Amino acid sequence: MVEEVSDFEALEIAVRELSIEKGLFTAEDHRRFTEFAEHIGPTPAARLVAKAWLDPEYKKLCLTDAIKASLAVGVDWLNPTGFGTPSDYTDLRVLEDTPTMHHVVVCTLCSCYPRPILGFQPEWYRTPNYRRRLVRWPRQVLAEFGLSLPAEVEIRVEDSNQKCRFIVMPVRPAGTEGWTEDQLTEIVTRDCLIGVALPRPGMTTNIPLPVHQPAKPAHH
Amino acid sequence: MSSSTREQVLRHLAAVAEIQPPVQKTGKAPYPTDITHELFRAYTRSPHDVGGEMDVPCEWTEEEHEAWGHRAYVTTECLAWRGAWCAEERRRMQNVDLGTTQYLGLPYYGRWLLSAARILVDGHHVTLTELINKIDEVKKRHEPAR
Amino acid sequence: MSQHDRTHHAKIATGKGDPQCFKGMAGPAKFKVGERVRIKDLPDVFYTRCQVYTRGAIGEVAVVTHESPAPEDEAWGHVDHSEWFYIVRFKQKDLWPEYPAAFANDTLQTEFSERWLEAV
Repeated sequence: MVEEVSDFEALEIAVRELSIEKGLFTAEDHRRFTEFAEHIGPTPAARLVAKAWLDPEYKKLCLTDAIKASLAVGVDWLNPTGFGTPSDYTDLRVLEDTPTMHHVVVCTLCSCYPRPILGFQPEWYRTPNYRRRLVRWPRQVLAEFGLSLPAEVEIRVEDSNQKCRFIVMPVRPAGTEGWTEDQLTEIVTRDCLIGVALPRPGMTTNIPLPVHQPAKPAHH
Repeated sequence: MSSSTREQVLRHLAAVAEIQPPVQKTGKAPYPTDITHELFRAYTRSPHDVGGEMDVPCEWTEEEHEAWGHRAYVTTECLAWRGAWCAEERRRMQNVDLGTTQYLGLPYYGRWLLSAARILVDGHHVTLTELINKIDEVKKRHEPAR
Repeated sequence: MSQHDRTHHAKIATGKGDPQCFKGMAGPAKFKVGERVRIKDLPDVFYTRCQVYTRGAIGEVAVVTHESPAPEDEAWGHVDHSEWFYIVRFKQKDLWPEYPAAFANDTLQTEFSERWLEAV
């Protein structure tokens, strides 16, 4: 049975077929990049933070050469093209929280995000609403995510507007003494790595939010 | 079917009125002296530059995207991988050149998709004629049999 | 744009990355960490990645990051000239008049290519 396509679907097919017909990329390129995109997620970044909490030398590497530090968690930022993904570049920076300073990341101009080590952005990160408000009313926005910090803690907003990409290294929480790297990795959620949540024992998922479902989802 | 196309045309003319900015009420271009420096700056701004604008607390949500959206993302990255453009050209075309109405009115991956179509034409890889004909052919390929 | 060499970027960046492929192209950096700078309000016709909310503000260079073509040039595929880039840190109270005095320690930092910065 022939299925109707939306305006967007028809355009997507047309653009992809024309690109391949004109030799702008191959079907194999599309397949390889799709595979890369399907396998990225936040676990490597979480593990980078866990390793840094356990190893002061690795932590120093994270803060001076995060691209090199990424290799230890299985992320080669040059993949899959040999020179990096076109949109994510190869200059990762780790923002170290302290007891008196907390970082939170936004890209006010679009939605720049360290995809190779953190996966895809949550939709709220891409919204004009988050991008308008986080830079000017950060404490109000963080409170909406359930995070209120005392006035003595400096909140430092990182507006990620050029080629650098950022993850937050939160302070290791109390109650994790003697934990393994795996246990620590579990509590460093994507929300913690953006800076809208702080890690704590027992919290292994992002803040539960409503999820809008697509009409025609991708099948994996 | 000619009558359904005509119906579509009339609905389109009504829809376009909905997304016109109010300043177009008079149906003629403003006089230069009507455009203050602030208005000039507002009209010529980069639409993606929203930091610090007013907005209200909203319900934060997640979204799982349409399959075509994921495919469009991969297409834009492949176009850059093999050198048709770079990511910054894409951001310009996708987040600024589209203009404020499309920028705020279209789905996230809809803009990625439109910019990919645009670079095919602006980069002289296809003529607009070829793109039009291809879209038409794809649509006909997927029309349910009558 | 139509006749450019589509293999150029892969040739210069494979094995190195981007912005690493532009290393050495910008000459000496004009500003250093700790220096106070003001953000210029250059005309932002057609495209800019220098946010309007930073224009005219004074901040401190926090990090000298890398060399790269400025986005205003790269957005049209011009990659012949590179500039140094800097993360500049501002006190929120210097950006927003209504920022609560109770949170005087709060900061914001963002990145600029050199053309946008002037010494204070």
